[in-house]
Amino acid sequence: MIPQLVTVRYRLRDGRFRRWWIPVVPVVLLLSPLLLLAVVGGVIACLIFKISPLGALAGVGRVMWAMPGARFEIVEGRTAFLVSVR
Amino acid sequence: MNEQRRQILQMLAENKITADEAERLLSAVEREPADAPAGAGPRKAKARYLRVIVHSEEDPSGPSQVNVRVPLKLLRAGVRLTSLIPPVAITRANAELEKAGFPIDLSELKPQHLDDLVEALDELTVDVDDPRNKVQVFCE
Repeated sequence: MIPQLVTVRYRLRDGRFRRWWIPVVPVVLLLSPLLLLAVVGGVIACLIFKISPLGALAGVGRVMWAMPGARFEIVEGRTAFLVSVR
Repeated sequence: MNEQRRQILQMLAENKITADEAERLLSAVEREPADAPAGAGPRKAKARYLRVIVHSEEDPSGPSQVNVRVPLKLLRAGVRLTSLIPPVAITRANAELEKAGFPIDLSELKPQHLDDLVEALDELTVDVDDPRNKVQVFCE
């Protein structure tokens, strides 16, 4: 399953936390024109570096599909940052 | 008929237990194989995530914590991407590795080997305990 929701949380200077919930599918749809350009750029890069574009696309797809469940959290002194993919 | 059932019926025939007790014992014997399969220990659930937890109190500005959870599927997908590295890049990477004292031929690294490596992570547990630092790497 592709990621549905990305949560980003970080601590502000005053000690409070700010949290962002990013719904992946609507954001991807919104950015789809840019995404199309990125895909075209990627295909050209694959051809230049003699990599199979289909293989590269499949590889990126596999990584995307495997993302849900990933979580990265770091707290150091006053800095706190969390990224969670669901 | 297994030995336990035979013994229960024997005790009932000898009037050592009542019919109710025999019935309860028989149902307990019937449930037993489902609860604990003979010869099989508790089955360990397959690990899905690699966890890295670091807790350090060395920093004077406050304790530091790192908590990372990576799906093993993501590791597998990542290592499969190595098959897309162009041969020119592999040759250059091999040369750089050799220069740094690591004579490894990356072209010999097959996705199957990397898959085996990720599978073996399932059993990995690293625990570092220090009075001010604690590091844990494990799969769950």
